[in-house]
Amino acid sequence: MKNMNTNGSPSLKSLSESDTNDDVVLSVQGVSKKFCRSLKRSLFYGIQDIGSELTGKRQSSDTLRPNEFWALKDVNLKLRRGEGLGLIGVNGSGKTTLLRIISGLIKPDSGSVRVRGRVAPLIALGAGFSPVLTGRENIYANMSILGLSTQEIEDRFEEVVDFAEIGDAIDAPVQTYSSGMGARLGFACAIHTDPEILLIDEVLAVGDIQFLGKCHRRLHALRKQGTAFVLVSHNPQAILSMCQDAIYLHKGKGIAVGDAETVMSQYESDLFYGNVSKTAGVMQFPKRSRSESLGLDLVRLCFQNPAGQPLEILTTGEPVQINIQFFVHEAIATLNLRISLMKEGQTVVYLGGSNDKQMFQVSPGHHELQVDLPQMGLAPGTYTMRVDMRKDALFILDICESFHFTVQSNGSMSKSIYYQPRTWKLRSVESQETAIRS
Amino acid sequence: MPRQSHLSEITYTPESQLRRPGRLFRAMGRDLLASRELAWRLFVRDINTQYRQSLLGIFWAFVPPIAAAVGLTLASSAKVLNVGATDLPYPAYIVFSMALWQTFTESVTGPIQAVTAAKPMLAKINFPREAIILSQLGQVGFNFGIKLILIIGLFLWFKIPITWAVMLAPVALLHLIALGTAVGLVLAPLGALYEDVTRGLTLAMGVWLFFTPVIYPLPKEGNFAQIVRLNPVTPLLSAVRELATTGQIADPQSFWLASLIAGVGLLLAWLVYRVAMPFVIERMSS
Repeated sequence: MKNMNTNGSPSLKSLSESDTNDDVVLSVQGVSKKFCRSLKRSLFYGIQDIGSELTGKRQSSDTLRPNEFWALKDVNLKLRRGEGLGLIGVNGSGKTTLLRIISGLIKPDSGSVRVRGRVAPLIALGAGFSPVLTGRENIYANMSILGLSTQEIEDRFEEVVDFAEIGDAIDAPVQTYSSGMGARLGFACAIHTDPEILLIDEVLAVGDIQFLGKCHRRLHALRKQGTAFVLVSHNPQAILSMCQDAIYLHKGKGIAVGDAETVMSQYESDLFYGNVSKTAGVMQFPKRSRSESLGLDLVRLCFQNPAGQPLEILTTGEPVQINIQFFVHEAIATLNLRISLMKEGQTVVYLGGSNDKQMFQVSPGHHELQVDLPQMGLAPGTYTMRVDMRKDALFILDICESFHFTVQSNGSMSKSIYYQPRTWKLRSVESQETAIRS
Repeated sequence: MPRQSHLSEITYTPESQLRRPGRLFRAMGRDLLASRELAWRLFVRDINTQYRQSLLGIFWAFVPPIAAAVGLTLASSAKVLNVGATDLPYPAYIVFSMALWQTFTESVTGPIQAVTAAKPMLAKINFPREAIILSQLGQVGFNFGIKLILIIGLFLWFKIPITWAVMLAPVALLHLIALGTAVGLVLAPLGALYEDVTRGLTLAMGVWLFFTPVIYPLPKEGNFAQIVRLNPVTPLLSAVRELATTGQIADPQSFWLASLIAGVGLLLAWLVYRVAMPFVIERMSS
């Protein structure tokens, strides 16, 4: 990874050398921020900080006062025009704090942030919406808060209304809107401010699937025009589909930086499985104790050929089996399996146990479940598989969030988006033709 | 679409902004200019919100001074309250003075209320912080404008003579609002941190009223008169009243001194408000 790194890595020098690059729109260098866990003390420190700011004494500080901790510590990153950067980490790892520093809401305690151009936060959707005012009035207020002049708002107004799919309701009070409509309007306002840098914090969860797709398309279009992104999301698919690079924050430190796929897989392995290993196309899950388990644990997951040999790379058109091994602690009356095969965040194939009327009754012990796919229909490319196992429809027993796999062509897949199994036949029809003519 | 030319560049560092006063003052000026349109939008939004949910509308702006005037006039005529002779008929004096005092009170509490109301916005979006204050000042002006209708009505009713000096009364009023806003701006960041500030302020404004010649004329002698004279609101409020009626400021020296305090205070308070806000926002939930 050339344009970002964590503190102390040798490439820090080359990073500052490339500072002259005009394309860099955001550069965060050695940023740290301390927070206080006790409210009383935090308020007191607030007064103290204001005092030192007013007397001009305040400067970079590296020491913690009692009860303080580092919410961010020595975070470095750099973002160029048109780049997407994923920010991942568990709750409380400092993602939002970093975004707040980048947007200039709060001051860092050490380090510096340089921003070129307008930063639009897709954090506060519909900030400043007044429920009794109409959608129209709120668009003006909201976009004004986001930094647009009246003229600029008027230029974009129609586009915003179209995008939000509000229609006639634009002249109704916002409090009569459904929550989805409100969120759509907020999103439409924010995304039409045409910023150089977009900060997106878990907001792509608004609206229905159709609107979500529209948001993604709009974001892709913006990126093509040179808008840079910082995207915070817990959805691996969203990160992978929109960002080349990612930074993984853990307790305020950037512990992994690099291309999104690698960083994401490190994050997932830390988060979901402790020490899951994946070799030669087989994912092995660590053994759980009874108290950690929800009644069923995944043990092993792989694709295999009909002979039972694990496959590293699948081939379009070939037969394949999904092999799932698991351990059951207590008997389960209705085991329900859901398998999604996804590409760039979109589910391409969904195999649902309840849809297929395939529920299983399982007794305690080791089991193996096999789903036969007589012909792999996916087009060549990289995919992820998500497997979740449930008791009835809702109770999740265990999940494998993402199993990455590759499908290669069998040589006859060009120009197609899925593999159509087929056979070709040539027959002579002369006898029939003569039969019709006669 | 993203503008590639003249991209503004900003650097955020931990150092105190006061170490580079030139840059800070330029940023303050720029933000003040930049916030005009936003302030107007917020003002329109708030006024609309306020009156769309109200049946009686501006009636509520008339009620407090009238209620005060009725109560105090009754008390005064029943000799329960002995306030001495006023330049104006007592009811008009009360309504006018109360309107001025309320305008002052609104300009003190305005910034605190504005910050409290805008908390969710402040915590998430970086917009010029001056905008919510300007918008609040717009509301103070708007509310005074409504009260002005009442005052004009009373002046006509009691046939109170005015002079050309009344044209200067708005200047003195601006000084009064500036003084109130200065106090409010210093308290706003503190008020967002500690609730004590809001509570203490309600109490303080009540006490402050008694040391300001609002419901009584300026006392001539005694310890109380001394305290009232030291109150910077006294010369400003009196000046507005005097310009609107007699046309002569009785104590120009105090007036200019208080105006100077108001002007310098406002600039300093703006500075405090501006540099303190990031630390306050840090402690708001996002």
